[in-house]
Amino acid sequence: MEKSLLAPGHRACAGCAMPTTIKLVLDAAGPNTIVASPTGCLEVTTTPFPESAWCVPWIHSLFENPAAVASGVELMVKRRGHDTNVIVIGGDGSTFDIGMGSNSGMFERGHKILYVCYDNEAYMNTGVQRSGSTPFCANTTTTPWGKESLGNPRPKKDMPAIAIAHRVPYVATASIAYPVDLRRKVKRALQVNGPSYIQVNAPCITGWTFEAGIMVEISRLAVETGLWPLVEWVNGEVTEVKKIRMLKPVDEYLKTQGRYRHLFKRPDGAAILKQIQDMADANIAKYQLVD
Amino acid sequence: MPAQLVAGNSAVIIGAMYAGCDCFFGYPITPASEILHEASRFFPRAGRKFVQAESEEAAINMVYGAAGAGHRVLAASSGPGMSLKQEGISYIAGAELPCVIVDICRAGPGLGNIGPEQSDYNQAVKSGGHGCYNSIVLAPNSVQEMCDFTMKAFDLAFKYRNPAIVLADGVLGHMVEPLNFPEEAVVPNIDTSWAVSGNSATRHNLVTSIDLDFEEMEKHNLKLQAKYDRIKQNETAWTGYRLEDAEIVLVSYGISSRIARSAVDRARREGMKAGLFRPLTLFPFPEAGIRELSEKGCRFISVEMSNGMMREDVRRAAGTEDVGLVARYGGNLIRMDQIMDKIREVA
Repeated sequence: MEKSLLAPGHRACAGCAMPTTIKLVLDAAGPNTIVASPTGCLEVTTTPFPESAWCVPWIHSLFENPAAVASGVELMVKRRGHDTNVIVIGGDGSTFDIGMGSNSGMFERGHKILYVCYDNEAYMNTGVQRSGSTPFCANTTTTPWGKESLGNPRPKKDMPAIAIAHRVPYVATASIAYPVDLRRKVKRALQVNGPSYIQVNAPCITGWTFEAGIMVEISRLAVETGLWPLVEWVNGEVTEVKKIRMLKPVDEYLKTQGRYRHLFKRPDGAAILKQIQDMADANIAKYQLVD
Repeated sequence: MPAQLVAGNSAVIIGAMYAGCDCFFGYPITPASEILHEASRFFPRAGRKFVQAESEEAAINMVYGAAGAGHRVLAASSGPGMSLKQEGISYIAGAELPCVIVDICRAGPGLGNIGPEQSDYNQAVKSGGHGCYNSIVLAPNSVQEMCDFTMKAFDLAFKYRNPAIVLADGVLGHMVEPLNFPEEAVVPNIDTSWAVSGNSATRHNLVTSIDLDFEEMEKHNLKLQAKYDRIKQNETAWTGYRLEDAEIVLVSYGISSRIARSAVDRARREGMKAGLFRPLTLFPFPEAGIRELSEKGCRFISVEMSNGMMREDVRRAAGTEDVGLVARYGGNLIRMDQIMDKIREVA
């Protein structure tokens, strides 16, 4: 096996899906790649100055900027006549919330940039605050569950749909539990002459609270319950869907994580579990996930 | 109620709740996030509004909106987030709206790190946004003051219809100390006849900072400057320690002033006549107090976790360039021996 382009010795938690995501993306993209990243767990754990785990050129900016920074990089790559991959790897706080404006600009201007969101569904680096990506009823430090709160009151923002609405030619969802699928999607995205967006389900051990050994299993359960459909859109049309062979109830996924523990404890939890099952069922029907 | 052990960031929310604050708009940033957490826990329970915004700009503009309706509004952030808020703060100052912003300063520039620094001094005290405006800036140095100064900031913000900043740092935000809760909660009974309330009675209350007429815009600026002069006259506050016969005066605020105070005691034990001058308000800066000491022949050392940002104000007030500086950066606290070396050098 070839040497990974993300060196070992970074400081991510044991059982974090983010380094796995980076490795898979870089593995598919190869060394002829420049990466731009916003602040987040990725930046803090892989590049504490003066160290760096990156074996490709890497540029950092604050939360709201990576798509704009990458736009500048991509224009200069083009100007020099190089054929270098320009990739943004950012978390969901940056992607869904504060960076939305610059994402929109990058998509709309049509830069040849692959944007990869490692989606751990909250602001993990600053202490597990909710983001626009936090799922319905998940417990976070700013949507704590209690007598009058069931956790995050809103469903997750549909970021792929927002990318598609920008006519982004290649959009996909992926999971670290399906590495072959993820690598293939990165390769396809990099073939596109324009922007592309891949959203990777990346479990967070501290924010979701689970045992360190089951990160991959949890991400697989997200897919197998229909809560995280693996879908590919080319020019807005669904071109590929990962079928679920052994469909599982959402409880099996939710039970693995502390952020949903309250739903199994309180009397009104059952109704919420039903609502979450309905969301999964809607995905299953929409993308025909089960034959 | 006996004193409770509380962290500085929690004390901010306690102060805000007692001050009748009814909205909090935040965005995650270390080391200020606990203010957001506490607001999310306690504001909804008390029937008050809590919103986690999608960005720092959104949060400060939510403040703009709610303040325009005459509500008591709080926001909190740190270095990079404060930078992002500057445009909003300028608009709020221009439209003359009251609000309180707590800055738990961290190390910079750029991302820096999450350790303490006092390098937001200029963007808070000198106003980092565009245009000629000032925020009122209060500088607590204990958990008790994190609570009390937050309450005080609401008073001043509404008295002058002006943004008020509580300028603290990562240590003050996270330090745990006994807190005596405020005696009683403030029942806001303030004149908000200037606010817009979405009815015909307040329709004429235009909340804006635009005036295309140069003369009118100048008049507005002059009015603001007159207000800042009133604030300087009425609200300047500082406190001294062993200043009576002091020959060497340490000027220091916030967490650095706690270390400077210990240095004063040690210098005294070594026979050097040192004292501490601690600004409680950074805007307005206590110029007269420093000038008076300067006229008595005192020599000054600015003790701050920034590159002499405050020293510039001390120089101006003292009327001399000869002001020493003890500084640290990058998340490091000032050490006592650093201050002692400087005192011995000056003595």
